[in-house]
Amino acid sequence: MTDTGTFPNDWLELQRKYWENWTDLSRKATGAAAPTTNPWEAALDHWWKAVSPAAPDLGRDFMTKIMDQGKAFFALADGYTKNLGAMPGAGLGTGAGDGWSALSRTLEDMQKAFTSGLQGGDEGSRRLMAFWELPYDNWQRLVSSTSLVPGDALRNMPHKHLNQALSAPGLGYTREEQAQYQDLMRRGMEYQQAFQEYMQFFSGLGTKAVGRMRDFMEAQDKPIESARALYDSWVGCCEQVYAEEVKTADYARISGRLINAQMAVKQRMAIMVDEALGAMNMPTRSELRTLQDRLQETRREYKALRHEVEALKRQLGNGGGPRPALVRTTATPPAAPKKAPPARKVTPKPAPSK
Amino acid sequence: MFTIDIRPDKLSEEMLDYSRKLGQGMENLMNAGNIDTGVTPREAVYREDKLVLYRYQTPAGVTPKPVPLLIVYALVNRPYMTDIQENRSTIKGLLATGQDVYLIDWGYPDQADRALTLDDYINGYIDRCVDHICEAHGVDQINLLGICQGGAFSLCYSSLHPDKVKNLVTMVTPVDFKTPDNLLSAWVQHVDIDLAVDTMGNIPGELLNWTFLSLKPFSLTGQKYVNMVDVLGDPEQVKNFLRMEKWIFDSPDQAGETFRQFIKDFYQRNGFIEGGVEIGGQEVALKNVTCPILNIYALQDHLVPPDASRALKGRTGSKDYTELAFPGGHIGIYVSGKAQKEVTPAIGNWLNERS
Repeated sequence: MTDTGTFPNDWLELQRKYWENWTDLSRKATGAAAPTTNPWEAALDHWWKAVSPAAPDLGRDFMTKIMDQGKAFFALADGYTKNLGAMPGAGLGTGAGDGWSALSRTLEDMQKAFTSGLQGGDEGSRRLMAFWELPYDNWQRLVSSTSLVPGDALRNMPHKHLNQALSAPGLGYTREEQAQYQDLMRRGMEYQQAFQEYMQFFSGLGTKAVGRMRDFMEAQDKPIESARALYDSWVGCCEQVYAEEVKTADYARISGRLINAQMAVKQRMAIMVDEALGAMNMPTRSELRTLQDRLQETRREYKALRHEVEALKRQLGNGGGPRPALVRTTATPPAAPKKAPPARKVTPKPAPSK
Repeated sequence: MFTIDIRPDKLSEEMLDYSRKLGQGMENLMNAGNIDTGVTPREAVYREDKLVLYRYQTPAGVTPKPVPLLIVYALVNRPYMTDIQENRSTIKGLLATGQDVYLIDWGYPDQADRALTLDDYINGYIDRCVDHICEAHGVDQINLLGICQGGAFSLCYSSLHPDKVKNLVTMVTPVDFKTPDNLLSAWVQHVDIDLAVDTMGNIPGELLNWTFLSLKPFSLTGQKYVNMVDVLGDPEQVKNFLRMEKWIFDSPDQAGETFRQFIKDFYQRNGFIEGGVEIGGQEVALKNVTCPILNIYALQDHLVPPDASRALKGRTGSKDYTELAFPGGHIGIYVSGKAQKEVTPAIGNWLNERS
């Protein structure tokens, strides 16, 4: 696609066709089945497939985000209108009284989707359920960005038979190596369990959000008149439920366990990588860290010494170098007594080759 | 009372309008070009390792006050938020009130900086920047403005070097890290920080991004992009949005040892309140902060709840303590139009009365 000037026209033409089909369906006898796909979402997908290859990387990633959220927005609107259209006597110009029934049906569909997993509910509800995957989708993106291993690599690790294998002690010359891999597998399984616990935490929250949405709607004294307002209300309910749940001690424990488990896997992998590098006579991460620590300590000592030398020079009246101690013109409050520098912190490194 | 009235024909119009904005916005997005940051002219006057100390150019017709102002920003984000665009610049506003403004840009730490500690940052980098400014201006004290974590650093510095700080301004600065509404603090209590730092060395900026986005995932990773469609039609608004987007995700890695000490001493042990924080062998005590203090906090701040900042009151040795509550969020306090009109002039006036 080379002519960006036709994008809006092509896009609008596509929309017009879908809109005509959609209103045509709405005008037909209400006994007719509603379309099984969300025409807006389908139109969005179709258009994006055509346009995205030409988009620059920054624009493509950004627009993909907007597309995903737009689909959630359209899905809510589509779910609502589908149920509205299914009301007896409904059509264009439907009276306000059927709106609540349509919303209730939409909320029931959403609840069905959340409680029965991805198999329950219709397509729109499943997409809304995917909305609640945002928190752990964000976590998986983080894991992918901070390691060579994809974020969901450990997600479905089979552990039914692994426990048996991991309990077998190592024998012979490769005993240490085997123990390392066993430890890596154990940490991987712990991470998988921590991630599953994290996902389970969120699995119940979608249902709570639907209930909160229902309570919110019942408490309103002004009607909601647009899909955007409906969507904003849904987001508000989700955030409310989320905020209440993630400030509990249980969530703090679960998220802490997830992060610690991920770090434990990385730690074991880092040790094994270091061993491989050492075997190839290449510098290792632990060696570099030791050097960094020593260098930083040396720099501190050098700067302190330089400070003292400059002060001595000034006392001797040589006037060389920048002035480290200032000529004070204001009364100085008594300084806190200096204590002896603390012993340098030595964090015990995990024992290698175990 | 019936609460919903969405007509199918209106709904179709709404969807069509949304789709049209999306289509037209694609062009503006593809033509957005490079996203620049920082609008006020400045000069790099001091460098050390990855740190750069900038001095901002005083506007024509303004005579700078004799006591210079040093801005200490947090390590977790980039400081160009204070000067993000022409009509949303805290730096510009401060310059207009006559402040001679300096700012520390911490740069992007890499693994070579892993061993930097809080002592290196506070008694090292900040102190040497203060010395440089004092030398350049022939003064022995400066005004200090600390933002967020930079405010915590500024409190530590003011406690350890009370002779060098004439006035202290803290903006959205956490003091009590264990207020009930502090989600970040609640989440970090069960994290093994030693394991994280020993494993990763520096803490990746991506981890911090994930943490901040997790505070409001549906709004910040979902709804924001639906609402964004409304501004896509205006190229200027698209650029403004993309600048914010750049800043939000432009999180530097954190030097490992500094991160270890900061999280353990402040988030986990609540050091300002409970005591026991030592930096460079000296104890940090808020009672040693004796200079005048202006403490500014945001009432809708979900990162540093207002109570976390308000806890500073009554805990310092200052006899001149002032609070300013801003009706906005953690970011809005720098970039909103209201903040430009209310917060920055207030800081300038408060400093001018005491400099």
